[in-house]
Amino acid sequence: MATKSRANPELRRTVTPWGSFSWGYSDVGADIFVGLGLVLAAAAGASNVAFLFAGVVYVCIGLAYTELAATYPVAGGGQYFVMRGLGDIFGFIAGWAVLLDFTIDVTLFAWTSVDYSSQLLPSLTNSIHPWVHFVAVFALVMGLCLLNVVGVRESTAFNGVVSALDVLSESLILCLGFLFAFRPSLLIHAMQFSWPSPYQLMLGTSLAIISFVGLESISQAAQETQRPASIIPRTSVALILTILIFALAYSNLALGMQPWHPITDAHGHHLAFWQMFPNSPDNQGKAVALLAAQVPYYGALAALYVPVLGAILLLISSNSGVFGSSRIAYAMSSSNLLPAIFQRVHRRFRTPAISIVFFSSIAVIELVFAAVPGLFPAAASFYARFFRGENGLDFLADLYAFGAATSYSFVFLGLIGLRLTDPLSPRKFKIPLNIPMRFRGERVEFPIVAVIGFVGIFSILLFTLRTHVLGRIFGPSWLLLGVLLYLAYRRYRRLPVLQSRQRDWRNEQTEILRRSGELELMDEYLANLKESDQRRAAGSSGA
Amino acid sequence: MIAWGAAHISVAGILAAIIIAGSVGSTLYWMLTPPASYVQKIAKKAETELAEMVGSLIVAFSPEIDSSHMVALAVKLARGEKSEVLALYIIEVPYTLPPDATMPAEERIALDVLGAAETIANKNNVAIRTETIKTRSTKQAVLDVAKREQANLIMLGSFREGKYTGAPLSRIIEEITADAKCDVLIGVEGKHGTLLLSDESVQSNPQPV
Repeated sequence: MATKSRANPELRRTVTPWGSFSWGYSDVGADIFVGLGLVLAAAAGASNVAFLFAGVVYVCIGLAYTELAATYPVAGGGQYFVMRGLGDIFGFIAGWAVLLDFTIDVTLFAWTSVDYSSQLLPSLTNSIHPWVHFVAVFALVMGLCLLNVVGVRESTAFNGVVSALDVLSESLILCLGFLFAFRPSLLIHAMQFSWPSPYQLMLGTSLAIISFVGLESISQAAQETQRPASIIPRTSVALILTILIFALAYSNLALGMQPWHPITDAHGHHLAFWQMFPNSPDNQGKAVALLAAQVPYYGALAALYVPVLGAILLLISSNSGVFGSSRIAYAMSSSNLLPAIFQRVHRRFRTPAISIVFFSSIAVIELVFAAVPGLFPAAASFYARFFRGENGLDFLADLYAFGAATSYSFVFLGLIGLRLTDPLSPRKFKIPLNIPMRFRGERVEFPIVAVIGFVGIFSILLFTLRTHVLGRIFGPSWLLLGVLLYLAYRRYRRLPVLQSRQRDWRNEQTEILRRSGELELMDEYLANLKESDQRRAAGSSGA
Repeated sequence: MIAWGAAHISVAGILAAIIIAGSVGSTLYWMLTPPASYVQKIAKKAETELAEMVGSLIVAFSPEIDSSHMVALAVKLARGEKSEVLALYIIEVPYTLPPDATMPAEERIALDVLGAAETIANKNNVAIRTETIKTRSTKQAVLDVAKREQANLIMLGSFREGKYTGAPLSRIIEEITADAKCDVLIGVEGKHGTLLLSDESVQSNPQPV
């Protein structure tokens, strides 16, 4: 009698190179809309230097993610790489830090999406109508939560179109801005006479890193990407370069820009363009739209569409925080790093509803904490006394920078760990500058760039802890709370608490490569394993 | 520095604009043109061969060749590759009759078959020509037309009625396949065969004895 077999359903590999790029771009590309104003406000004449330092670190981060996502094309991202390289508890800490980032991502980008909309709808301006602003952001967060619970997500095609429009638009703004409004003497003047104090420069650098957060999205979509080991390195490198070009170009243009229309302060004194941002949270939240409007001639058109495009891109990024957090929680739960409840799928909607609602609730708590000083003047004095007056965007940016710096630090360590413990996995993309050496009988390559990247991102983490009062308190508190929950969960489930669970990484890696369609790499991996086993057998028999 | 209306044009600004446009454009171009994998190269070759195969396409009919179910497939292939279809009906005239003998019943069937083919093609917006040929040998007529048309593919349908003759797909079809200088695609409807049926489906749909 014939037997019927039914294959397990797998994620379809429908994401093309542009699709993969746009998944990352809709997340990272939105960051400059938030980061530019904050960095100009903090680092003043050294904003371009702050972006350059963060950009160099970001290139290292990007290269690390590229190598890892191409070698392990699974839907887990940073926490999976760290878990595999360093063990369960470190995987949990990295994942928990990413979860903090994703919840902040939801609130921060919904907040700035409303800020950009306020450029066309002044009633949404936070400083004038804080309650309207709060209600609008709250409605966006709840709306995104609801859409994700019922299973409506923006499609890859929609992401692709918005990303294409934005790349085109930003390239136009920058090219025309440099062409028509750039005065090198203004840039030099700003760098000479408005150089910030070391404290402000550290603050600016720690904020600049938030312009480069979101590479995680590409590796998360790895399981749905066509030929991930070949495509992801290209899309990641292209994303890294594009974002780096935009960030450096924006910061230099902002410092050296001759505004189309004169900008004056309350006393009627003329201001340079970048001077619009210090002490003006409203302006900080919509810096790109303000810059685009000051490009001669083109600004007339840009003033109309850039706020809309920015608001849409920021909303997509906010949405990526909602489903990204549920995805990470699902992956962590599958690896026994989080309780199984985060894997539970809603019967009707077939979505991880509990996970979505849980992390959206945390996003709402963060929103309330950020909005309270604006809503209640009495609270503002409390914040001024205990948190140096940080509120709103500052609070969200603090935690965003903390989460990113923490998770990226662990990803670098995870990369070093995997280079040492898993040298047999074929790496279609390998970070340059490596030291060949032997480790546990295998030839390995120690990555110098990962060490440089770790030093860079760890210094940004220290800058964040030094300069961000709220980040210093709430970031480590989040991690501590998570570790306590993790320890309690592992003890309850009778799993190794500080050790890692035993896993058959060899079979898992073979299966990962088979499922991703990288058959040539799978053959290479199996050949490497065989050769290694034979070498070990020969060594032990010789001994 | 040149002031032009509200614009301030500088050499550094022009250089920066060119560098930004060039680097973003070239980065994206490089990203979108990855080298093909081995599997993709095989797929590309197969697609090219298919495009050549259906460049000129003949669907042949005769009383022994029932290709009615192949017309829709031929039209779909032709539409994808923007090629032309020739629907050919062969009436085999027996040696007991003169070569141009009138055969009203067969000619009527030919009109129906070719009319149906035209309807399917028109519905799918595919160019189709129809032709009826009277001949002593179906095989030779199909091969001659294929040569005349420089056909890349001949499509034939089969009943599998000739299975007891030692030529399961009928002798004419096997001879055309053996002698044709182009590709031949033979379609056998599942309902005429038993090879694809599992035990379970045979049990659930018992065939009449």
